[in-house]
Amino acid sequence: MDAAASTGARRLLRIFYALLLLFLYAPILILAVFSFNDGDPSFPLQGFTTQWYGKFFASPLLLEALRRSVIVATASSVIALILGVLAAFALIRRRFVGKPAASALFFSPLVIPYLVFGISLLLLFTLVDKILKQTAGVYIGLGLHAVVIGHVVVTLPYVILVIMPLLERLNISLEEAAHDLGAGTWQTFRRVTLPLLMPALFSAFLIAFTLSFDEFAIASFLVGTEPTWPVYLFAQLRVPSQLPQLIAVSSVILFASLFVVLLAEIIRRMVERRYGAEYATRGLA
Amino acid sequence: MASDFDRLIAKRLRRRDFMRYAGIAAGAGVLASCKKASTGASPASGSPRPPIAQEPGGLKVFDWAGYGGGEYYPKQEVQVFTDPYKAATGDTPTFVLFDDDDKGYTKVATGNAPYDVVHPCAYRFKDYVALGAVQPWDTSLIKNFSQLSPLLEQFGQIDGQQYFIPEDWGYIAPMYNADHVQPQEDSWSLLWDDRYAKRIAWINTLEMLVIAGYYNGVADPWTMTDDELAAQRDFLISKKDLVSFFWDFSYDFWLKFKRGDVWIGYAWPDAYGYASAQGMNAVYMQPKEGRIHWSCGLGLFADSQNYFHAHEYANTWSSAKAAAFLESYYYYGHANTTVDTSKLPTGVVKALNLDNLQAALSPPLSHPESWISRRDVYQQYWQDVKTA
Amino acid sequence: MDSADDARRWRRRDRASTAGLLSGPLLWLLLFFLAPVIYVAVYSVGGIKIFPNDTGVLSLGDWKHFLVGGSVYMGLFWKSIRIALTVSVIVVILAYPVGYFLALCAKKRKYVLLLLIIAPFLTSYLLRVLAWEVILGDSGVVNAFLSAVHLRSPDHPVTWLLNSQFSVILVLAYVWVPFVALPIFVSLDNLDGSLLEAASDLGASRLRTFLRITLPLSLPGVIAAFVFVFVPTIGEFVTPLLVGGPRGYMYGNAIADQFTKSTDWQTGSVLAMFLLLVVAALMVLFGRYVRVRSVAA
Repeated sequence: MDAAASTGARRLLRIFYALLLLFLYAPILILAVFSFNDGDPSFPLQGFTTQWYGKFFASPLLLEALRRSVIVATASSVIALILGVLAAFALIRRRFVGKPAASALFFSPLVIPYLVFGISLLLLFTLVDKILKQTAGVYIGLGLHAVVIGHVVVTLPYVILVIMPLLERLNISLEEAAHDLGAGTWQTFRRVTLPLLMPALFSAFLIAFTLSFDEFAIASFLVGTEPTWPVYLFAQLRVPSQLPQLIAVSSVILFASLFVVLLAEIIRRMVERRYGAEYATRGLA
Repeated sequence: MASDFDRLIAKRLRRRDFMRYAGIAAGAGVLASCKKASTGASPASGSPRPPIAQEPGGLKVFDWAGYGGGEYYPKQEVQVFTDPYKAATGDTPTFVLFDDDDKGYTKVATGNAPYDVVHPCAYRFKDYVALGAVQPWDTSLIKNFSQLSPLLEQFGQIDGQQYFIPEDWGYIAPMYNADHVQPQEDSWSLLWDDRYAKRIAWINTLEMLVIAGYYNGVADPWTMTDDELAAQRDFLISKKDLVSFFWDFSYDFWLKFKRGDVWIGYAWPDAYGYASAQGMNAVYMQPKEGRIHWSCGLGLFADSQNYFHAHEYANTWSSAKAAAFLESYYYYGHANTTVDTSKLPTGVVKALNLDNLQAALSPPLSHPESWISRRDVYQQYWQDVKTA
Repeated sequence: MDSADDARRWRRRDRASTAGLLSGPLLWLLLFFLAPVIYVAVYSVGGIKIFPNDTGVLSLGDWKHFLVGGSVYMGLFWKSIRIALTVSVIVVILAYPVGYFLALCAKKRKYVLLLLIIAPFLTSYLLRVLAWEVILGDSGVVNAFLSAVHLRSPDHPVTWLLNSQFSVILVLAYVWVPFVALPIFVSLDNLDGSLLEAASDLGASRLRTFLRITLPLSLPGVIAAFVFVFVPTIGEFVTPLLVGGPRGYMYGNAIADQFTKSTDWQTGSVLAMFLLLVVAALMVLFGRYVRVRSVAA
């Protein structure tokens, strides 16, 4: 007898799951339907067309915004990865005074509301710009650099969180063996530790990239004249003359990101198998 | 006309020397804003203005949507605002948008607006001058300036200098769908008529307090005391449930009006023009308390290094071509007196007084959208209405 | 080689390199996280002067007005708490059966099924809100359906679907359900199956087993899930802005408006700091449930 649920209960749970899945995906599907609608996105439908998809590719501002988001997400993810690896090593492999405080600091960006953080960065840059203008006559201003800085801060905890468990499980005897064989610190890191960390690094990069690419609140305060994709999208949502194109683009992006999520999971498993992380955690045979 | 050579120089300068010019300009801007605003700002005392060929170019225009960026009419906006300017200077402008005057002003006040030209509305002109953020225009450099109506241009004159060049103007009035709505009288009270609950749209700014003030008989709703403001706030809160939504963009309101989601709204002329063009039975009311007329104009940032470029851009804006565009596509009036309104439907022209600027600007038919000295206080009371 | 010498060399290198390791990330966070937050705190007590109407004088006046002076924003804060609570409760109630089903009933394909639930959360937030804007509008899917089956005439659509508190709660719940399924699933998945079997062997009914074993043991996961939704939703401003209408205005919107539409950044800083302090207090209180590392794995 199944202690968790009776057959009847199981059927109900299965139905509930299916309904919830429908609830989650229906709006996305409806968007897709409207993206082919020849007219405003409302009922009744007015005929099939692919013109909105065509118009999307013809919009340079839209493509520009997408490009900027890719750049920002890549830059911030790379920086966050580097800083995150450093921090993870310090937290796992070292003992030092004030570790709980440092740990708290590293993880506190997880809880700050992005609205408040975005505003605080706006304040920081405004003040710094004011001082720079008065003393050195230089003006930096807001822009993509500010967004990258903000995104590094908020993605760093996730990067650390993903790397720490794997780092913890890594058997240090592998690295010690490399040292014994004469390898320097950097060499050991590059040729032993780094490859073993690959699955975590890959996941961390993906999480950081996704977070940064879709991030709106912080970016909205810091972009200045160069909107990232979510900021551009939001602005367009407020000017509904562009709505049909936007819906077409949204469907594409939604389905693409779903596809990417599934693909990423498959790749992650492959990477795990390839780099033999299990050997690393079990130690040398 | 800038030669290819000039254009090349301008481009080269822009890329390599931007930071240096930015430094000089910023320093100049600081010096300029240290002087009292009324003396007007010229670039740092002593240094002459570089001729247009030596300006960096890349004019940045801080503006509402739909005036060149292509948000509403991609082809026409470029034809009207970008192409003539490009033909005259060889430069292509970039557009940075603000949602409304308040957001634009806040950005400028924090120093986060490193642009050349700004397009706020008249009730804000004094604020910009007080900040020291803008410098006066030299109207002799603008060929089309003589075609602009002096009635409007006076709004842009502060302390004897032409700080702003008013270009577009229009009304604020209640608009309703006569197929569904029969107002009991021609009054702003239609905006809170409980027969039409949830069919009403308000604007999402503190102007609602002013409208309430006019309706409730306040002597001057632009300079209300705290008590008067509190009364308008409470009044609006009591009527809030009748409202379907607050609009930030006139086009948002127009779309919902077109779909029949709302029948009544605080409206700018473009919504009425679209409705008429669509053949809808829309009425742009002349309420007994009076409409409000607004006008917006171009300002030149004190820090801008594109002095002559900016004047060329202002010239483009002041042309009859720009006027024709504004009237045909947005149903806004334009300061250029030579424009021909006969191509527009007469009903619309009459309702919006597009051919009669004098009448449009006169009380009691309409009151000017005026400077509010205690704008922050009004903003807080409006926030209270939104929060309730 | 002398192994003791080696060990000493290792340890010395260790201490030096610790500083090297920490300096990068620490510096970044100090400069770009702590410093900005401190600025906001200082601004909220008047210590900064950006605008002409900033006092530049330290004072707790703004704080006093907000906390005890009958400020309208306090009421708005409690309204946001209410909305956040509603959303969190709904989301947890919806996600729990899914977590239960996947962890305890679906044997072989549970990770794939879980991924299907979580995947929408990893797509664009704005776009998912846009989808609901389209569905809930007066000419949207729901109303079209209702008028097609003659439950409503086309002239009288259900207006409170959009631009209302209802739409804010609905859309926020929609956004968060996928995310919340994960911690609930994890806590149920970690349940020792033998406990359940032991209970049934001892004669307990399934309901009793659930109430006295499964539910209590999964409670940490449930509380973690609740906190994960509740805390960010208090300060939510995007969804209310897009689908909230006049009545769906939330605390986050007030903060955003203060900083974009008005130059009263002092009041805005007070509101922002207050939100931050509340969030920090909540995390301290519920910190032990949100053992982040265990969930991250």
